[in-house]
Amino acid sequence: MGKKWLPQWDTKWMLILTAVASLVVFVVLPMLYLVYKSFIINGTLDIHHYQTVYSKVVNWNALSNTLKISLYSTILAVVISFPLAWLIGRTDLPWKGFFRTLFVATYMIPPYVGAIAWIQLLNPRVGYVNKFLVENLHLAEAPFNIYSMTGMVWCLTLFYAPFAFITISRAMEKMDPTLEEASRVSGASPLRTLWNVTIPLMYPSILAGGILVFIGVASAFGTPSIVGMPANIEVLTTRIVTYIYMGDTKGIQEATALAVSLMLAANGLLYLSMFGLGKKEYVTIGGKSTRPNLVELGKWKWPAFSIVMGYGAISVFLPIGSVLVTSLIKSMSRPVTWDNLTLATWKAALENTQYTEPLMNSFILAIAAATIATIIGIFIAYLLMKTKAKGRKIPDALATLGGATPGIVIALALIITFSGNFGLNLYSTMTILVVGYIVKYLTMSVRTISASLSQVHPSLEEAALNSGASWLQSLRDIMWPLIRPSVVAGWFLVFMPSFYELTMSIILYGSQTKTIGVLLYELQTYADPQDASVLAVIILLIVLVGNLALRKVSRGQIGI
Amino acid sequence: MADVKITSVTKKFGDVFAVNNFNALIKDGEFVSILGPSGCGKTTMLRMIAGFERATEGEIAIGDQIVSKSDAGIFVPPEKRHIGMVFQSYAVWPHMNVFDNVAYPLKIQKVPADKLKERTEQALDLVHLAEYAARFPNQLSGGQQQRVALARALVAEPGLLLLDEPLSNLDAKLRESMRFEIKELQKKLGITVVYVTHDQAEAMAMSDRIIVMHKGVIQQVDEPIRVYEHPANPIVADFIGLVNFLEGEAAAGQIQFKALGCGIPANVSFEGPARVAVRPEHIRISKTDGYLRGKLVNKFYLGDSTDCRVLVGDTELRVIDRGAAFAEYSDGEDVFLSFGHVMAFPK
Ligand SMILES: Nc1ncnc2c1ncn2[C@@H]1O[C@H](COP(=O)(O)OP(=O)(O)O)[C@@H](O)[C@H]1O
Ligand SMILES: [Mg+2]
Repeated sequence: MGKKWLPQWDTKWMLILTAVASLVVFVVLPMLYLVYKSFIINGTLDIHHYQTVYSKVVNWNALSNTLKISLYSTILAVVISFPLAWLIGRTDLPWKGFFRTLFVATYMIPPYVGAIAWIQLLNPRVGYVNKFLVENLHLAEAPFNIYSMTGMVWCLTLFYAPFAFITISRAMEKMDPTLEEASRVSGASPLRTLWNVTIPLMYPSILAGGILVFIGVASAFGTPSIVGMPANIEVLTTRIVTYIYMGDTKGIQEATALAVSLMLAANGLLYLSMFGLGKKEYVTIGGKSTRPNLVELGKWKWPAFSIVMGYGAISVFLPIGSVLVTSLIKSMSRPVTWDNLTLATWKAALENTQYTEPLMNSFILAIAAATIATIIGIFIAYLLMKTKAKGRKIPDALATLGGATPGIVIALALIITFSGNFGLNLYSTMTILVVGYIVKYLTMSVRTISASLSQVHPSLEEAALNSGASWLQSLRDIMWPLIRPSVVAGWFLVFMPSFYELTMSIILYGSQTKTIGVLLYELQTYADPQDASVLAVIILLIVLVGNLALRKVSRGQIGI
Repeated sequence: MADVKITSVTKKFGDVFAVNNFNALIKDGEFVSILGPSGCGKTTMLRMIAGFERATEGEIAIGDQIVSKSDAGIFVPPEKRHIGMVFQSYAVWPHMNVFDNVAYPLKIQKVPADKLKERTEQALDLVHLAEYAARFPNQLSGGQQQRVALARALVAEPGLLLLDEPLSNLDAKLRESMRFEIKELQKKLGITVVYVTHDQAEAMAMSDRIIVMHKGVIQQVDEPIRVYEHPANPIVADFIGLVNFLEGEAAAGQIQFKALGCGIPANVSFEGPARVAVRPEHIRISKTDGYLRGKLVNKFYLGDSTDCRVLVGDTELRVIDRGAAFAEYSDGEDVFLSFGHVMAFPK
């Protein structure tokens, strides 16, 4: 009996171990090496790099800008998201389903595409909104200037707010509505109840959502670079890229010191949010709870609807409309009319191999990253949910760590680690890009797959093994059909962000491996807004198609 | 304090009548249960009294205040109805300690600090939680949390207390002791109580009167003993306690059972076809006398009683014997039955 079992379990553990080993090589090793390189000079502990970096005013300014921008965006995002989540989740606001989909979907729009759109709308010379206001209100000069701290906070808030919205909405859906009703019968008005019960109960999720926004904004490169650089506003990520582009040892060393600072800040915050708040999460007793009793907005119904609709129009439709129109316009200096529209820009762009090659690259890279991440993800999720092995949570934690680490840090760590130092030279290859995407987005597939694995009762697998199936056979015949939708969903959740990734790509790409994100960034910085818009629309289309596919495979369960 | 007057109240969800033409007058200081199977509209009715649902039609008055009258557009929100309510899921706020939970209604009323402390402590005393004031809900058992909810519902001295299956999340033993505790409290405070439950024993033990509901419609409003012994219709008879149903014919102080080939004297007020309900414990089993002859099919020992199945003709009757039937009879034995109390309904 025992003999018969042994080889089967061996296959299982070999596969799991391979998945874990790849994580160790590509996540743990580079991160540790990055930290090591930043502190060790000629074999001894030395904080010289940090001293050099932080003795320069530019870097201090970058640090303080990063903190300021992240803080403002976080506060704004929470202030916007909480009422939105409340209105959509708890009241009789019309069109709730539509709004929920809309604000959740914004999560998938790459923020730098948003930044490009807002530059088209609000740049001081030719921004659509500025021009419109100047002409119609007879202003002496443009009322808005996107190239400013305010402009950066504006763009970042709009496109990172969905992080907070999703977190807060989920918690609000899980909350027992009778907790609010108990307050009402105690004599408290709806507003008082919101203040005394709803907000305090939501506090952990508000904080968690806020931290996600903070980390996201602090790690962002595209938007701060596109919007901030023209105004000479630098943040940590842009400084790091500048140092890396200097290309010499000294540049890399200082980039390393800055990157480690950023990594510690981001991961420290994540640690706080996971362990500091984990204990405070309020578990409420499940009873056969009543259906949520929706707050009747009464005379506020239509004003609230208009505000939410207005926000949707400004945060989603206006920017999308802007890139779409820009990609179709004949002459930027003439007004937007039907006969000023053309498909010529599209045609030229799609025939230009300088554009189609990066597009193909991104497709190949994203497919490779998604496929490999899915395979590794299955094993890590299986290890986490379906075994009792000691340390089974570690690979999952590593995947989470990768996801929470700023892309720029991952990219830098990969470069210094795999430029021949450990017998592996991946510099300027497709491989290093794929590795970067996997490190960053693996957690998406692990999370999606483990969620569905947790629903598969262990007896199903045991029954298969008892019937004489090998582990792989049981995986194929029993597990796979049950978890397939979430595996496919997880694949899309890695594919989409990999496809339009910018922050890591800008550091890791080589002349033969340019990606669509990098190309778009270049077009934007070299002031070719029309071609940039074509690419931006292509990215938005991919996101849209990906989302529809995601909804279909997961039957609306994992709709983004 | 507060009586409750519910007049022709109807609640529709879409096309579904959750509550259909509900009429009731609950007197000041009375303990009334709304009893019925799951999904019959009890919670919906209670939530209309509380103000969490708007009645589609009808009028609700608490004390001398009309709180809801659909055709006049009157609707008083829950916070202005001055009632206490206890929820099935306790709904104790996890972010406040026991004292703050209970003091909350007083805080909303802006009761001065010293008064607030005094009254909160009184309420905590009432539910025997005085020494738990500083604890947080996650440090309390389910029963204790339910007491916190009760104290919070009572602290502002409302005239009316609403409870929605408050004991259903507790284990059996605790449930029974809480029944008496709630009843004692109600007597002591003289408060009007509307108590929703699907557990007939609970309703029987606690209520002055029971409102039996079925599919949104009131079937009977009566004292527990009347509901049990004189159910208004077969639905109530069937829902409350156990019954054997028989088809019969009522005529001149008699009911004839064709299937059993016999008749019994009965005090019925109608003539013609009848549906007759007999409770198992109202059937006497005997070796020697009775007007029905049958065969004992099988028997189950229940400790305080024996549950027997007796075949009379081709009708199987369930009989519960409080005596020593289990030891005295053997399966397959011929036995005699006689009915004590029967309940007859015209068909
Ligand atoms: N908010 C609602 N929307 C639609 N149907 C509801 C709603 N609340 C209750 N119902 C329906 O009304 C009926 C009565 O429900 P309820 O009052 O909760 O029953 P009970 O408390 O007696 O179990 C059920 O059929 C239920 O499905
Ligand atoms: Mg109910």
